[in-house]
Amino acid sequence: MPGRLRKISPLKNPDRPYYALGLEGSANKLGAGVIKHDVDGSSTVLSNVRHTHMTPPGEGFLPRDTAQHHRTWALKVIEDAVKQAGISMHDVDCICYTKGPGMGAPLVSVALVARTLSLLYDKPLVGVNHCVGHIEMGRVVTGAQNPVVLYVSGGNSQVIAYSKQRYRIFGETLDIAVGNCLDRFARVINLSNDPFPGYNIEQEAKKGKRLLPLPYTTKGMDVSLSGILTAAEAYTQDKRYRADAQPTLDEDIITPADLCFSLQETVFAMLVEITERAMAHIGSKEVLIVGGVGSNERLQQMMGTMAEERGGRVFATDERFCIDNGIMIAQAGLLSYRMGDTTPMPKSTCTQRFRTDEVYVAWRA
Amino acid sequence: MTAAPDILAEAILISQGAEAAIYQAILHQSPSSEATPVFLKYRFNKQYRHPTLDASLTRSRIAGEARAVLKCLRNGVHVPGIRLVDASQGILGFEWIEGKSIRMLLGGGAEGEEETEYTADLLEDEDAVDSPEDELQSLYGLTPDVLMAMIGTEIGKMHLADVIHGDLTTSNMMLRRMFSTASSSTVELVLVDFGLAYTSTLVEDKAVDLYVLERAFASTHPDSEPLFATVLQAYGKTMGKEWANINRRLDDVRLRGRKRSMVG
Repeated sequence: MPGRLRKISPLKNPDRPYYALGLEGSANKLGAGVIKHDVDGSSTVLSNVRHTHMTPPGEGFLPRDTAQHHRTWALKVIEDAVKQAGISMHDVDCICYTKGPGMGAPLVSVALVARTLSLLYDKPLVGVNHCVGHIEMGRVVTGAQNPVVLYVSGGNSQVIAYSKQRYRIFGETLDIAVGNCLDRFARVINLSNDPFPGYNIEQEAKKGKRLLPLPYTTKGMDVSLSGILTAAEAYTQDKRYRADAQPTLDEDIITPADLCFSLQETVFAMLVEITERAMAHIGSKEVLIVGGVGSNERLQQMMGTMAEERGGRVFATDERFCIDNGIMIAQAGLLSYRMGDTTPMPKSTCTQRFRTDEVYVAWRA
Repeated sequence: MTAAPDILAEAILISQGAEAAIYQAILHQSPSSEATPVFLKYRFNKQYRHPTLDASLTRSRIAGEARAVLKCLRNGVHVPGIRLVDASQGILGFEWIEGKSIRMLLGGGAEGEEETEYTADLLEDEDAVDSPEDELQSLYGLTPDVLMAMIGTEIGKMHLADVIHGDLTTSNMMLRRMFSTASSSTVELVLVDFGLAYTSTLVEDKAVDLYVLERAFASTHPDSEPLFATVLQAYGKTMGKEWANINRRLDDVRLRGRKRSMVG
């Protein structure tokens, strides 16, 4: 039985408090955060500062402009994070940065900042896998022990389970990510990017009344989402589509709210289905939802219903930790630093392609 | 319409998966006929899904599975016969197959045991029980090689009918004994669980189907490489001239691995 023979964690409680600064900038969010690991094994978030590169409705973020945004705000965001944490840069044990995956230009600009700080204060660097950062942050915030992880964001959609020092990918998207699908649809119907497109889709969806047929494409443990986006877009060219109408069941019309509703219901049902399959496969009763889309309450609700049916429970975090942030990079980085792992300067590169299962998870049993 | 739920009420639950619950039930063809056991697959409602979406998915999946099995039956592939289809209730009834799964016969353990995978090193020194190969020999009179050839032939027949199973594992294959006369009998290999099956003529889909089985072999039956080679040999023989293309594609699929590197 899983859990019956719990192995002893290789991670020893620290002999003194450890502090890590985490820097994240793999997409349009620039984040910096300081985490503290105390002698009793507890973790405390000392600060979590974020600044988002906003684009007007109907537009996505471009790598070059995003990198420019990160360069402009890096110093301010890091300064705030360190100040809020109430420590000095000299107290920090290591500087953690996102090695990948993500957009090239923003990654490079943040890695440069990390390297500079490392040389300036003579602190070791730790390169962190963005996905592992999400998982570790989710685990520490929710206290989930060995959950099946659904990681859904603008760039990634994966169902992950831990086994033998790796976060193994059970299922994933075969084409675009869930967040990408939602964001792009938000652009089609001209929703605002503030605070983030997925939030505005969720609010619209609450008004939706009509479930329109969309493709339902789960393939074993994997899902495909690009066709759904195309099908949803096609409805906006339909004769029945009214961009300004209120959703109603009395008239045969399609409103943006109906489309948001249908899109969410279909896509989330697919995600819950593959998560359930992974849970059945490995015999786990816990699910952890991480990533930006994970802050969607409808997804959390559907996942909760599924977990309840299986006699399990769902763990989710709010937007502070779901959406890309610096603190998660600090958390995953500090775990690996405490296991004696650092990234030497010549290897402090970044990479746009960096799979979750490439990371050797030394800190778990 | 009320027949299917009635059957379910009296059925014995065998196992419950993520997709469906499996029952054994008794079917009377007529009041006077002998009672025959049937295998029921019940795709229960998923509360998390929108009811409309849930209903249409269940309907199409039941119909799809029944269609794939029928197509196999028509083409002489050994699959369980269909006894009952109730797409709106989500119930599919199959002929009851008395026998053991290949996974058990090859000593892969019961399904679900893989969840304790990480404790395997602790179980290693347990005394080995009756060798499964002996059971294969004594119960069915088969050597592992003959069994592998049967698997290859059956999959070949299915692929010739353009049915792609979608979830080929040794747990989804069973051996059963057919009695032609009172004294003589033959053993046949039956493919089960077409829940993920679909129709395709593509070389790619057939190669991936085989690759799935190869992976399943490797993960549940260690050191099974030579065994799987026998499967492929028999498969190639059945497929005839199509085999060369599929074999080439299978090599490509192996190199590709299941997972591409993600961007972003």
